[in-house]
Amino acid sequence: MKKVTLLLPLILLITVCLFFLLFILFEKDPNNPPSVLLNKNLPLFSSVNLYNDKEYLASEDLKDKYTLINFFASWCAPCKAEHNLFFEIKKEIPDLFIFGISYKDKPSDSKKYLKQEGNPYSFVGVDQEGKIAFEFGVFGLPETYIINNKGKIIFKHAGALTKKIIDDEITKLF
Amino acid sequence: MKLQNFFKFLLFIFFITFSYTSFSKDNINDRYKKLTLELRCMTCQNQSVYDSDSDFAKNIKKIVKEKFKEGLNEKEIKDFLTKRYGEYILLKPYFSSKNLLLWVFPFVLLVLSMLIFIRNLKKN
Repeated sequence: MKKVTLLLPLILLITVCLFFLLFILFEKDPNNPPSVLLNKNLPLFSSVNLYNDKEYLASEDLKDKYTLINFFASWCAPCKAEHNLFFEIKKEIPDLFIFGISYKDKPSDSKKYLKQEGNPYSFVGVDQEGKIAFEFGVFGLPETYIINNKGKIIFKHAGALTKKIIDDEITKLF
Repeated sequence: MKLQNFFKFLLFIFFITFSYTSFSKDNINDRYKKLTLELRCMTCQNQSVYDSDSDFAKNIKKIVKEKFKEGLNEKEIKDFLTKRYGEYILLKPYFSSKNLLLWVFPFVLLVLSMLIFIRNLKKN
């Protein structure tokens, strides 16, 4: 009994430290680290239209509307898995501007992919060298961001979207 | 004699230039290796950017090389990368108030263990 009383402060301290450690590590999925860009302004970029090389879309053009930005590629299997969900999002939130960015993909392959799977995007940009993706901190495909009408990033998801994520997280933002 | 001196001078210039370029190249390569070893390949399992051949690692290696050539130092390149990828890209996180517990906790445990050990020694 005396021993336990002696060790009590130590046990208490370890418990408190463990509690803090768990608090720090809680919800920190190593496969989906939190984005530093969340609640920050949209990075500056300009992207050419996949279907018209004279048309560009710049970050300034997105500042007055809610925008969903999706990085995809024809060679990315998880992108195919989430692709149809963008049609559902479009139906559920018609005012949302859906901006697809073809990442490190040949424009001809992206066009072929969108012809086969359908094109849910309001604008399809090209990022062949991955420079736009770098500004967004993209590290794997697919990645999805939502920007509010003030130009701030309010949502980020790395990996394929699911119906549950759309229902539980995305639709609640509107 | 004058021609001989001229050639000696040329040889001297060549030697200096060659040594300088090879030294600066080695210097950049060493710094590049050191820094990429401290960066996490975010698409790999516990691998540094230096050790990985993934698309992500190749991209970061290219950026680090470019930034060194532009004259940025290690700290500036780390800041440039953490602005986009967060501190998660660093294998060794910064020492900050946010990470204080992570850094201090092992030392707190060590000191406590030593105190208990000394106390027990004195008792015996």
